[in-house]
Parts: sequence; structure tokens; C-alpha cells
Amino acid sequence: MDKSKLDHLLLEAHARDDHDALIRYYTLAADEREAARDTDAACFYLTHAFVFALESGAPEADTLNARLAAHGRAHRLDFSD
Amino acid sequence: MNKHSPLSSVLAEVNIANGLPNEHYVDPAIFAEERKSVLYANWSGVGFGKDVPEEGDAKPVDFLGMPLLIVRDRDGEIGVFQNTCRHRGMILVDTPRKIGGAIRCPYHSWCYSLKGELRATPHVGGPGHNTHEDVDRSDLGLVRVRSYVWRDVIFVNVDGNAPAFEDAHAALLERWKEFDQPVHHGGETSSFKLEVKTNWKLAVENYCESYHLPWVHPGLNSYSRLEDHYNIEARGHYSGQGTLVYRQLTDQDGATFEDFPGLSDKWDEGAEYIALYPNVLLGVQRDHAFAIVLEPVDQENTVEHIELYYAKSIEDTPQHDGLRASNAQLWKTVFEEDVFVVEGMQKGRHGVLFDGGRFSPAMDGPTHNFHHWVATQIENGRAD
Repeated sequence: MDKSKLDHLLLEAHARDDHDALIRYYTLAADEREAARDTDAACFYLTHAFVFALESGAPEADTLNARLAAHGRAHRLDFSD
Repeated sequence: MNKHSPLSSVLAEVNIANGLPNEHYVDPAIFAEERKSVLYANWSGVGFGKDVPEEGDAKPVDFLGMPLLIVRDRDGEIGVFQNTCRHRGMILVDTPRKIGGAIRCPYHSWCYSLKGELRATPHVGGPGHNTHEDVDRSDLGLVRVRSYVWRDVIFVNVDGNAPAFEDAHAALLERWKEFDQPVHHGGETSSFKLEVKTNWKLAVENYCESYHLPWVHPGLNSYSRLEDHYNIEARGHYSGQGTLVYRQLTDQDGATFEDFPGLSDKWDEGAEYIALYPNVLLGVQRDHAFAIVLEPVDQENTVEHIELYYAKSIEDTPQHDGLRASNAQLWKTVFEEDVFVVEGMQKGRHGVLFDGGRFSPAMDGPTHNFHHWVATQIENGRAD
């Protein structure tokens, strides 16, 4: 997705406090940066996707945390309960 | 050399004692002292379980200026935390809401579980780096405030030094053990609050004595005479009044609320109204109960949070909706009749020549018991 388009969608999602959209678009931004081997930027976006998933109790929190941990950027958390 | 105690006359026996001095009602410095030595040092009521009925429910409470957060976790347990992020001290939750997964600080997004554990520290090690060797998550959970839920009242001991709730209040737990059973909140009509221009202690004092009933609540005289009441005094713990002629409310068809099961004959026509020090007022009757948490706003203002409870849930007894509303109105009328008294005593406490007053040795024992307890807490605080 075009970066300016993604930025626009993220701003809209923030304005709506739409956590599902925030998780989706930050993950998308992270995927694109990861594909470009820009690990720092990818982990920045992954962090945001993870935080909103964690806050809302979304199941994506587990895999997002695992991705950050795989990069050495987060402690692996237990989501079993 | 003995240090003179300005509270020594309060600590005398009821027949010769004076009440607490005016400063305890009008002086902000004494109010601050009471906050520490009386309200933070003991088990104070701050809310009700019914306000966080479901998992993830969170309710912020201002307790004498201290921000608290009441949370019901995934196990259904109620916890109370200081509502302050361990990072930069930001208020975490400013309005009651449902927490879906974690409590996220709105400033830098540090996240906490419903049990207060620090779960995420985004960018703490730099952009995209969510750990730092000097930031130990296990040391930075939310500050948990000691809490205990009894009769749906959420009690906290802020300074953490009071005896365990079950020990501190063992006498009342034993006295009312027959009522140690589930209570069901009566719903929207069973919840009301009164904002009163009075010091919180005057609400306690008025509640725990029956002396005023025939004068302030003349409507009670026809069936609940002064001589049908008795004083309740447990030095150092609680005081109140009991009645021997409790009469159940009935609707137009003669129906009454269901009784709490298993009560002894004592409660057929008996009821008790007890101030559990410092700031919780409780009432038990065969068919309903109530709890009042006094929120001390400042030395001159108090909010009375009043909640009514029943033996059966509103879902199980929709036929009693009208009766519950009538009962709530009845109690609201009684409590509103007391407002001019507690506000009048507050005004009277600005009379600089008032000496704290004298007690009726026969009728004012419960009030003196409370003054004695408050004075003891103040003296203990001054001795530390």
C-alpha cells in the first residue's frame, strides 16, 4: 500500500480510536518494512500494533509479541490465561 | 514530664467526657491529620462491588485526593491499585470503563494487566526496542492497595499497617455471622447519594445513636419508639443502635421481600444499624440491608453513597420492583431528614466557644465510642 495512503488510514483509525483498524494498519506497515529488511522501522510499527492488541485483548497480541521477541525487541509474554 | 493531650477529655469515660474539639470539624490541618491517622491507617470504605460487576470493569475513585483504581480481574476478584503509572506518574484511567485486555497509560503506553503486572514498556530501550536492562518489569507493577470486600463494600487500608480485615473486624463479623451470605443489589432505584455540607464524622455520629429519632424522624414514633431501641458499643471497633420492632414493608397485595435464609428468631423483629469505623454505615434487617460509604471531600463536605441490598436478585424477583422502589424512597426520606442535623452541627462547630459538647451517659454511648476511637487514632498517629 502507498505510504501516504497508509498514514492517512492510521490517522483516521486513531481519530476513531478504532483498535481493530490500528492493529491491522500498524501490522501492515510493519510487514512492509520487514519485507524491506528495515528491522528498526518494522519493530516500531510492530510495537504499536502489539500495544493496541494488548490493550483491547485482541488475539493478535500473542503473535505480535512473538515477532518482537524474535527480533530481540520484547520479552516473550504468557498469554495462556 | 507528661505531654498534655488536647484529646484527654475525649478519652475520658462518657459521663465526664467532652466531644472532639471544633478543630476536628473545621480545620484543614486536622482534616489532613485525620486522613493519615484515621482514614488511611484503618479499613475505609471507598466503593461497592456492584460498581464493577463484570470482568474487566474498572472504576477510578478519588479517595481524599489519592487516585485509586478499582478493577475486577479475569478471576472475578476485585483489586484496588494506585491509579498512577509507574513511569511518569500519569493518571491511568479517568472514567469508569471496561478494560478489554490491559490498562494502557495514555501518555507513553506502558501497559498493565488487570492484576497490576507491567506487561509492556513500548520503546523503553529506544524506538522499536521494548526492553531495557535497567527497567525490570517485575519491579514496576501497579502499586496495589490493600483491599477487602465485605457485604459488597470495598474497604482499603492505604498505609498497609492495619491488622487483617478479618482480625480488625472480627467482633462485628461474629455479631452478624448469620448475615454472612450473598447480598444482591436492588438496581438503579436502590442507589442514591447525598451531598452534604458537613464533616464526615458528624454523619457517623448521627447514624449511630437513636437519641434523635423521636425528634428528627417523628414518623417512626408510631411503631418504632425510642424505648424499642438499644445502644451497640464495641470499644475500639464500632457502635450503633438496634431496634426490637423492625416491621417489614408490604405492597398493596401484602407481599414482602424474601428473607435472608437461616436467620434466628432474633431477627424476626430485630434490626441493627452499625457504624463500622471509620466511614462505613451498615444496616441489617431480615429482608434487606444497606451500606453507606461516607466520602470525605474536605473538612466541611461529605458525599453519602447509599446502596440497598436484598436476599434475592432483581432478575429473580421482578415482582418486587415496585416494592424495592418504595423501600428506597422510604430510606431516602429518612436519610434526607438527617441532612439538616448534620449540616446544622457543622455550622455549630464554627462556634469558637463550643467545648466539644457533653454526652448523655444514657443515650450517647455510641457517639462517645466513636469520638474515643477517633481520638485514639489521632493520638497513635501523633506518637509515631
